[in-house]
Order: sequence, then structure tokens, then C-alpha cells
Amino acid sequence: MPMTHPEGMQPIPVEPEGAVAVPVGDSGFTLALPVFEGPLQLLLHLIESRQLDVLTVPLAEVADAYVEHLSRHPVDAANLSEFVSIAAQLIFLKSKRLLPTEPIPPLPEGGDEPDEEELRRRILEYRALRDASKVLGAMDGAAPVMRREPREADLPEVPAEPIAVGILVAAIEALAAIPEPVAPPPAVVPREITIGQQIAVLRQALSAGGRVLLQTILARCGSRTEAAVTFLAALELVRRRQVTAEQHDIFGPIVIEASAGEVMP
Amino acid sequence: MERDQPADLGAFFEALLFIAERPLTTPELAELGSVPRLQAEAELSALAERLEEDERGLRVQHHDGAWQLVTAPEVGARLATYAAREEARLSSAALEALAVIAYRQPCTRGDVERVRGVDSDYVIRSLMHRRLVVEVGRRDTPGRPVLFGTTFSFLERFGLTSIDDLPPLSSDAAQLTALTEPAEPAVADGE
Repeated sequence: MPMTHPEGMQPIPVEPEGAVAVPVGDSGFTLALPVFEGPLQLLLHLIESRQLDVLTVPLAEVADAYVEHLSRHPVDAANLSEFVSIAAQLIFLKSKRLLPTEPIPPLPEGGDEPDEEELRRRILEYRALRDASKVLGAMDGAAPVMRREPREADLPEVPAEPIAVGILVAAIEALAAIPEPVAPPPAVVPREITIGQQIAVLRQALSAGGRVLLQTILARCGSRTEAAVTFLAALELVRRRQVTAEQHDIFGPIVIEASAGEVMP
Repeated sequence: MERDQPADLGAFFEALLFIAERPLTTPELAELGSVPRLQAEAELSALAERLEEDERGLRVQHHDGAWQLVTAPEVGARLATYAAREEARLSSAALEALAVIAYRQPCTRGDVERVRGVDSDYVIRSLMHRRLVVEVGRRDTPGRPVLFGTTFSFLERFGLTSIDDLPPLSSDAAQLTALTEPAEPAVADGE
């Protein structure tokens, strides 16, 4: 707990406007808790609830309350890094105040040392627009102005020229001339081909003479998929050293031969 | 004849805005009235003032170089009862983002986030969805971020006749605006 600023550092009731769903446990159960959406909102609330003057209060004075709040209350998780960034700035400002005799050498140009006045400007700017947003909120829909709704007459007109009966007859006849679409099969049933099945096919083919031309088997395949699976089955048999495959030229015939000692069914 | 011309023009514009089913731009009105753009603008402004001074039930609304005739905010609440229009209230987050865009327009999502200190992607998209803000262009800086501005729907909902009608920001903020507003090319508004 802070020792340096005893005047009003006790936890204060916090009542942000927005309520955010906070998950509890991992069961998908959420509680709507009032949380601060952004660090500036929280910071401004801490200052205003203590009736401090934003224009003059050393921001270091609210550092403890800010960190205290962060550690005890949920904040909008999406903006957690923003909260932490402001917390770091406040702690830095406070540390500078606590060590007044040892001035911290200024960082080189372009460094991101927190600047109290810059932070104060942001708070003030936020406050101005927050106040404006409250005024807007009160105006929202209170005294709306309305424009004239487009009437039927404003809608695009239907062409008014009479349509010759012949055109309609021709249209219906043209429609009638189109053959009825063929009903699709009730359902598409994919045919599953497994490598195992195709291994059996290959072994069957090899059982006759122990040699077979792969292309003759592929030629019997009904689909591209079946051919691909058959080819994979051949590779699998080669891998198992149950057959050997030979091809002399690119795109030439592939001869599959049962390895010595392999008994084909 | 010469002397009567301006009054006639005002009446003509009033009637034109009455029958138009969408906002009319200054060039359109100038062409329909066969007058230079500046004269059309002056005439429309005079019409707007007359309607307000005489406490009529109608107002001229002006936004982004276009004009439309709307009902007066003074009768809005009672009209809303008749029109049975009840819109969902905006969340405080949406109002904050809307305020930044309304007062700083045209501005980018980054500008909104810088002021609010929080990610504002979602609220801006919800404002776009409600047609309260629209993309109005891109800023000529690296990444060419999208610029947002408010719409006629925004003015209608908040009972404003133009964005000049927005309640003024508190005084210390007005000074701050000069300090923190990024330098950007002047935005041509109409002429």
C-alpha cells in the first residue's frame, strides 16, 4: 500500500459505464461486469472521483490507484496492452517524483520517455470528446429530423407501353420447347477405392504368370481416381519388396514382376 | 422582374428540395436554377435562415456540399411518435468514437484510437453499419489510411442541420485541438 500519498489512496468505488462480458471458468459462462474500456477512461475516472484538477494534478499521484485497480478489477482484455503501457508511464512518473534529488538524465531525442504533459494532453483531449459524446448521447434521437420517405411515385416506373399478346405466346411456346430437365440421381454416392483393394487386384493379376504390364491394369480402371490408387498400390507393393517394377523409357511400359518367393494368390 | 428573381429562386429551391427523394448537390441545384454555384449556395443559406427564423416545421440540412429539406428538430420527438421510429441507443463507446469523428472529420481510425486510447475497429464498423459514418477518402500519408466523416443520417438522428451545429467542445479542448491535430491538407467544402 502507498505510504507517500495517504490522502485519498484508498480503493474507491468504480463505476464505468460499459459492461463487458467476462468469462468465468471455462464452461462458456460469462458475467457482465462493469469494466473500463480504455486506460484514459480509467485514469480520468480516478482523477475525477478524487475531485482533483486534471490540469494541475501530478499524474504520479494516481499511479498507485491505477495499478491497484488494474490488479483487482477486470479491464477490457482487448486493450490490456494499452492499460499496461499507461501503467508503466505512471510508475515512471512516480519514480521520478520519489527521487527528486537525482534527476534522471534526459533520453536522447526520439526516446520514448513518458512525458507527463503529453499524457495530460491526451487525458484532456479524451475528456473533451467524452463530454461531447455525453452531450451527443443525450441528443441521440431526442429531437430527430426526418426527410421525406420516397413515395411510390419516386420509385422507378414500370414501362407503360402495351405488350403485344404475340410476344407472350412466343415466350410460353419457347418455354414449352425446352425439354424437362433430367432428374438427378437421388444422391451422389462416392465410390471408395482403397489401396488395399487395388493391391488385391494387382496380386490377382500377378497370380497368373508372375508378370504383368501395369498399363493393362490401369486401362481397366473406371476413373482417374481408381487409376491413381492402383498406381499407389503398385508403389506400395514395391516398397514392401513383394514386387519389382521396371521401366526402360520415360512413358514406356511398366512391368510389374512378383519378387522371388512371393506367393501370389 | 430582376428584383423578384432571388425570392423566386428561393421558392424554387424550396420546392425542389421538397420533391427530391435524395439530397441535391450545390452544382445540381445551381444548374436547375440556372444560376452560378455561389449564388445558389447563398440562396440556399438564406432559405435555411428564413425557415429557422420563422420557426417553420421544416429545415434545410446541409452536409458535404449537398442539401435536403427535413423536419425541424423542435417537432422531432412528436414526429417520432407518429413515425414509430425507435432506434437502438448507441453504446458509450460508439458515442465516443462518433464524437471524435464528428468533431475531427475527416479523420482516420488511428485518430479515433489515439484520442480514446483503445482499439476502435469494431465500434467504427458498427457506426458504418448504422450509416452514421462513411469513408470519405484517404489521407495522403504512408499507408493511405481511410478517412471517415459523418453522414446525413447522423445529422438526422441528432437533430442537426449541419455539422456546424454541433455543440461546442469545452474551451481547454479547443486549444488542445490546435496542439494535437495532425497537419493535413485543407478540405474543400463545396466551393
